[in-house]
Amino acid sequence: MSGPTSARAFVRSGTALTVLALLALAGVYVLALGFTPIEARQGPAQKIFYLHVPAAWSALLAFSLVGLSGGLYLWLNDRRLDRFAAASAEVGVAFGVVMLTTGPIWAKPIWGTWWTWDARLTLTLFLFFLFVGYLALRAALHDPSERARFSAVVGLLGLLLVPFIHLSVYLFRTLHPQPIVLKPSAPSLPPEMLRTLLISALVFLLLYVGLVTIRYGLALAEEEREERLDAA
Amino acid sequence: MPPDNAGYMVAAYVVTAVILVGYAVSLLARARSAVTGNSVKREA
Repeated sequence: MSGPTSARAFVRSGTALTVLALLALAGVYVLALGFTPIEARQGPAQKIFYLHVPAAWSALLAFSLVGLSGGLYLWLNDRRLDRFAAASAEVGVAFGVVMLTTGPIWAKPIWGTWWTWDARLTLTLFLFFLFVGYLALRAALHDPSERARFSAVVGLLGLLLVPFIHLSVYLFRTLHPQPIVLKPSAPSLPPEMLRTLLISALVFLLLYVGLVTIRYGLALAEEEREERLDAA
Repeated sequence: MPPDNAGYMVAAYVVTAVILVGYAVSLLARARSAVTGNSVKREA
């Protein structure tokens, strides 16, 4: 399958998945706000956690996959990998915006400040800007092969940052809470809160797949237009 | 008694919905425009 038919198929299936994910996200809102207990010490603001953490996980997953597919592109020279990397980077930046806005909104009532320049927050902000730069680089380069190679290198550099961000709460003194699920021991969260968090994470994952599928279809359509312009 | 900070929670949930729905709608509009534009030009 190639050309507009293929691009249209990706856009259609991505749209169906995205609509399903957004409806499921509405369900997560109901579950989190109406059926998950209020944490005694932090109050209602703790419920921001059910959006902030899945958004952070999805953004880090998206950025990791950009790096992995970039590395594979440099090895296999397959354009599908470059298209996927571009799609994953853009969706990762969208999730990154959610992570970087909900984090300070939680921090203000809990820490008493919107932002602090500790290791976890600073590295995460740096990773976000790196992928904004990745998208700007892609937009500035017109040769498809050059664009794919240069952006693959930037994506790989971003991938190197991801483990540091996860481990930063152990390596440095930081205000940011330590992992409560992604750690060697059992999750330290009451069952109702853990259930809401995991459901939300699955919904964010579904949304990631839907949005990346649409963006992949868009990249296919744009490539076809570029090829037509080059041929003219 | 938990602290009364529900306003922050509401703000975060609204901001998240605006960002995600806004991005999904704009992405879909760009994709549809690219796909339809290509088909129209191909037929022409």
